[in-house]
Amino acid sequence: MITIENLKHYYKDIDGNEVRALDGVSLDIEAGEFVAIIGANGSGKSTLARHLNGLLVPTEGRVVVDGMDTLDEAKTWDIRQAVGMVFQNPDNQIVAAIVEEDVAFGLENIGVPGPEIRPRVEKALAAVGMSEYAKHAPHLLSGGQKQRVAIAGILGLEPKCIVLDEPTAMLDPQGRQEIVSTVKKLNQEKKITIVYITHYMEEALEASRVVVMAQGKMQFMGTPKEVFSRVEELEALGLEAPLAAKVASELRKCGAKLPKDIITEEELAQALCQ
Amino acid sequence: MSIELSKVTFTYSQGTPFERRALENISVSIEKGEIVAIIGHTGSGKSTLVQHLNALLRPEQGTIMIDGVNAAAKSKEAKAARHKVGMVFQYPEHQLFAETVEEDIAFAPRNKGFAPDEVKKLVQEAMRFVGLDYETYAKRSPFQLSGGQMRRVAVAGVVALNPDYLVLDEPSAGLDPISRKRVFQEILDLHKKRKLAIVLVTHSMDEAVQYADRLLVINKGKLMYDGAPSEIFKNHSQELRAVGMDTPHIYQLAEKLKAQGLQLKGEIMNERALVKAICEAKGWKYAK
Repeated sequence: MITIENLKHYYKDIDGNEVRALDGVSLDIEAGEFVAIIGANGSGKSTLARHLNGLLVPTEGRVVVDGMDTLDEAKTWDIRQAVGMVFQNPDNQIVAAIVEEDVAFGLENIGVPGPEIRPRVEKALAAVGMSEYAKHAPHLLSGGQKQRVAIAGILGLEPKCIVLDEPTAMLDPQGRQEIVSTVKKLNQEKKITIVYITHYMEEALEASRVVVMAQGKMQFMGTPKEVFSRVEELEALGLEAPLAAKVASELRKCGAKLPKDIITEEELAQALCQ
Repeated sequence: MSIELSKVTFTYSQGTPFERRALENISVSIEKGEIVAIIGHTGSGKSTLVQHLNALLRPEQGTIMIDGVNAAAKSKEAKAARHKVGMVFQYPEHQLFAETVEEDIAFAPRNKGFAPDEVKKLVQEAMRFVGLDYETYAKRSPFQLSGGQMRRVAVAGVVALNPDYLVLDEPSAGLDPISRKRVFQEILDLHKKRKLAIVLVTHSMDEAVQYADRLLVINKGKLMYDGAPSEIFKNHSQELRAVGMDTPHIYQLAEKLKAQGLQLKGEIMNERALVKAICEAKGWKYAK
């Protein structure tokens, strides 16, 4: 779906010093995957996300989306239609005064014929579980609901891939849960490729693959089990393993013989209570 | 010394079709020196509530007293009272505007009429508080800093005014786990050194239980609970879930283990206590 080859993104700061936001990242994202990207603030993960649909283009290296090079300006709009982005703050992403009009906005923008718009809007709202709010005013919705409307706005464009950059940072626990389960459902049922950036390790547990970024480079990656059992390495990078993995790691220091790959609460409970 | 809200009611867009009651008859007092966390569903009214703490919003009914002065009044005393409350909004880094870190932090003290050498001293102190080295960062553009550093500059801008009450609306949103811890460590240090009151709006139950000595739960514009975080989380987990809140992760994990038959004793409020309790239950020797 997306091939990233030795991607470098440099820019000059105000004093003329070169900043290497991305310093040689190579990564293949397969169609249908659910990839989580974690990393400390300033590690380059948001910069990386913005390369995935050509919001930024490489200083060096290449990003190829569905066969299209992001440096090829003629393909920019096709690339943005193939890869949709959802950002942190839902309030910055909603433009209309009524939910269904907001979802229709993107469709009108890309010139979808009138009669096609309504069914696509309805489908998109149904996919995020917001059909009953179609006629509501977005500003009266909860944070989680607003963010689901933002996702519906992207879904209407029928992208192959959705990139979400910390979509739950501003949400309450219930809103976070809503977004995680919506994203999982889109991945499993609609086979949409998901790239999910988060600071919440519990959310990254849901991914099929976790990529760890630091200082503009990919440090390591693997299944959630492989990545989150490396408790100390994560901490050294300013990250944190999920609670169950941390507790298991502490218990091992107390002499407990526990399996190496405990990362979920269920696994910890099972190991302790058998 | 306290901020006292008594019977505060507030309605947005009053008299229009969009009229919405955001706060209803809330009475609460924040004492100087305490750390209070406020939690609530998005739209529960918690941000409206904190904007009343310095009378940024004037109550439709009820009163706000800051150290005994009616803060909603139009007097010199009222203005001085409002200045005792420092507000750090969500994503405060979006409000940075000056060319250098020093200029940005100096803006408020200068506006308040401090002399140039006093302003410089306040800026240096504030920067020290938030852990930014003056020599390194004062002349840098705030926009070239990382997210965590920008937030610290924004917090420093408020701290420079030496508030008696510091209100922070989700100070850790969007920060990585280590930066989150660092931000709170700084807040705790500040609290220890200046004995000011901290009011913390958060979506993280873990932060609420870890850092606050008092918890306010807001639901539908009303005060639902007011008490010690551990008590509220222990006794009202069902009710909290019903209104979109939750209990801290550590509680959930301990509950899960207990439900599976592990005999965990004592109050489990943090990771260390949990590890200790598990060691006891399993007969392992707890090592620090």
